[in-house]
Amino acid sequence: MTRPAPVASTGPGAGQGGGRDAVRAASPLRPVRPRTRWKSLVAVLVIAGITAWAAVTIQVDPADLVRNGGNAVNTLIQLVQPDYTFFPQTLDALGQTVQMAVIGTAIGVALSLPLSFLASRATNPDATSYRVVRFVMNVIRAVPDLLYASIFVTAIGVGALSGIVALVLFNLGIMVKLISEALDGVDRGGQEAALAAGGTWLKADRAAMLPEISPAFLSQTIYVLELNIRASTVLGLVGAGGLGMLIDKVRTFYEYHYLSLVIFEILALVIALDLLSSYVRGRIVR
Amino acid sequence: MNERPDAARIRFEQVNVTYPNGYRGLKDVSLTIEPGEMVAVVGLSGAGKSTLVRTINGLVPITDGEITVGEHRLRGLRGSRLRELRSEVGMIFQSFNLARRTTVLNNVLMGRLHHTATWRTLVGAWRADDVELAMQALERVEIVQKAYAPAAELSGGQQQRVAIARTLAQQPRIVLADEPVASLDPPTSHVVMRDLQRINQELGITVVVNLHFLDLARRYGTRLIGLRAGEVVYDGPGAGADESVFESIYGRSLTAEDVLDSRPVELA
Amino acid sequence: MSATALRPGMPAAAASARPRRPRQVLRTLVSVLVVLVIAASFWGVDLSWSSIAQAPASLLHIAHLMFGPPNWSQLPEALGATMLSVAMAWFGTVLGIVISFPLSLLATRGLLPGVVRWPVRAIFAVLRAVPEVVIAVLMLSVTGLTAFTGALAIAIGSIGTLGKWGFETFEAVDRGAIEAATAAGGSRVQVMRWGVWPAAQPEVLAFWLYRFEVSVRASAILGLIGAGGIGKMLVDNTQFRVWDTVGTLLIVVVVVTMIIDQLSGMVRQRIITGRWQLPLAARRGRRGSRGAGGLGGPADAAGPGAGGPGSGTGVEPNAGSDAGAAGILSETSAD
Repeated sequence: MTRPAPVASTGPGAGQGGGRDAVRAASPLRPVRPRTRWKSLVAVLVIAGITAWAAVTIQVDPADLVRNGGNAVNTLIQLVQPDYTFFPQTLDALGQTVQMAVIGTAIGVALSLPLSFLASRATNPDATSYRVVRFVMNVIRAVPDLLYASIFVTAIGVGALSGIVALVLFNLGIMVKLISEALDGVDRGGQEAALAAGGTWLKADRAAMLPEISPAFLSQTIYVLELNIRASTVLGLVGAGGLGMLIDKVRTFYEYHYLSLVIFEILALVIALDLLSSYVRGRIVR
Repeated sequence: MNERPDAARIRFEQVNVTYPNGYRGLKDVSLTIEPGEMVAVVGLSGAGKSTLVRTINGLVPITDGEITVGEHRLRGLRGSRLRELRSEVGMIFQSFNLARRTTVLNNVLMGRLHHTATWRTLVGAWRADDVELAMQALERVEIVQKAYAPAAELSGGQQQRVAIARTLAQQPRIVLADEPVASLDPPTSHVVMRDLQRINQELGITVVVNLHFLDLARRYGTRLIGLRAGEVVYDGPGAGADESVFESIYGRSLTAEDVLDSRPVELA
Repeated sequence: MSATALRPGMPAAAASARPRRPRQVLRTLVSVLVVLVIAASFWGVDLSWSSIAQAPASLLHIAHLMFGPPNWSQLPEALGATMLSVAMAWFGTVLGIVISFPLSLLATRGLLPGVVRWPVRAIFAVLRAVPEVVIAVLMLSVTGLTAFTGALAIAIGSIGTLGKWGFETFEAVDRGAIEAATAAGGSRVQVMRWGVWPAAQPEVLAFWLYRFEVSVRASAILGLIGAGGIGKMLVDNTQFRVWDTVGTLLIVVVVVTMIIDQLSGMVRQRIITGRWQLPLAARRGRRGSRGAGGLGGPADAAGPGAGGPGSGTGVEPNAGSDAGAAGILSETSAD
């Protein structure tokens, strides 16, 4: 009835009442439970600790929220009642927002193509230029777009130009990273054949590698256009043109109905582009 | 067999290839391949077949000794002179090595890369006579109707024929083939090997093929080179390879894995 | 070697068997449209050409003022401000995670009826569509300009994305474990806990961490509009044109961001692959857990995740959303 059971806890003896005892009797064969629990515990403690430090540093004050809660609800109610009569006045800014995004995308994407090829080990045999380009791109990517915009506004002047330059830098970093990673991952057979046939790296990359990533390139271009539209709606907050400038103008006067209209426009723009982009990207990726 | 007027002789002189990890791919290999020959190289995996073939166009650099291909000397060959050599040596690969997302025609045109100006490549404006050459190459391997199809839509055998067309577009003096049929089924393998044989016989191009299957090697080559552990252990006509030769090449008796067909295949 | 050398004996009839080049009408139309749109934008935007011509020179001049040399005496203050921004980002992210996690469970298909799911998903969509900065502007005007408010803005802004990635990950989990748990008689909660969660856990942890990277950038931006931290210091110095301090601040921002991205990348690697990897080691051929089609590439911890962190609006477009969570792991984020 009870016989030494195999290591598995559901052994042949399990059906009988003696199953459990049979399993225990075999305990010398059981592996010891690995002690990794403590690692998770440490991780949780570390996270809790950092969060506590963060809360203190930023001076978390729930009471503050409660006090202003009523205020906030009030504002929220006003916000969902946009005043549509202001719409014609916002058209200029709206147009500028779209234009900045389109131009920024066009220039940024065009520049990013050669840089991406330089930034991928699969297409750039020269270690030095590869490392330099990658490093520079990492640095460029580390600066948020609004930061670029704010500096350019002071350096170049208020308006769309600052916004465009900020957008170009912003999406250069992203595109180069995405495309160079696509190049790293793609099948290099054609490139090997092109090099074996006597082509230079440049020719081999253009003839064999570019077609391989062109769906990804198109897809990412549309993605970046989306990002740029969203970014350009708010660049105006620091003076770089577009709808953001309207927000900036208006927020200090608490003209919530105007503000809410602008926000609605931003939402509409972003959602429309998002839908369009999903559709197109779905069609591209074959 | 008609020789081309500028056919290239391949000469190996005491060639040694040692890989960076210390592995010796070729040991003191000396042989000469005359223009217009079709040579089949056989041996176990790791015996050096691939290394041998890839040293001829410089894909694998040689550590010691000298290889002469036509008037090119391979030791230390770099830059534009290496590219010039490579433009004269066509190569087909086991995995076909096509750019899958672009058309068959564009793939074949890659054979003309060396002769095409960089700006033309960047913009995608091939010269009309290059396109004509590419079309003719496709016609020769009888796959021209797929010229505008994306390469990924083709079967394995068709892709390999496109690869052959690519080498033909180079108008090469030598064609190398690194296990060209390892990924193909037997009937298709015969088609591809027959294409290589026709190139050799009709155009007089030297062909060096690296094969796993002994029967293919004996059937389609005029000369058989057997490698074992980086050394040449047999060099002679395919017919002359008997049991003892197999053993010296493979270190064991012939098994079913070493031949492609247990029965001869009838070709159309 | 003439062209005819290739085909001795080839019958002339064969030449006429060549296919014609296929016409790509749709492609051409779209290309023309795109070019028109771009041209219209260039033409329509009102830029004075003189300012364009002057721009490079001005930028170089400013760059010279910023970095030659930067004002290192401000470094301690800069670091302090950075700590505030990072604290803002951390707290905001944690808060966002805490709120979005249960919500994303609610939104997972197969757990609760559609009547609960769709409103929750709609909330996510709206929160994602609103640029974070706008949320911050609204909040700041209500509760005032403080770091706490900034953290709240970050939290609210992240709920949308975290929620969406959450339920997408849960739904994408391999069905095997779920089927086994359900077949063994588990309730829906148990199935979630034991079937879905263990499989989803690495990805979820990974995108939580990734979201922190995004939030760090967002916190710098929120500072620009007054929420404190390094952003505030930056905007103050920029407005008063104290360029050498701005230079120092920029360097601090870049270095801190890159360090955080590296660390986060390393931890994410560890979560996914179970191994620690040093950054900057050339890693070829490694793929993320689900390379997104042509986008899948080797995880490279030498650079931050792509889309979101670069965007000041704390953006994660929902296009390529399926690549989103997977993208986090391979850092080829469609975001």
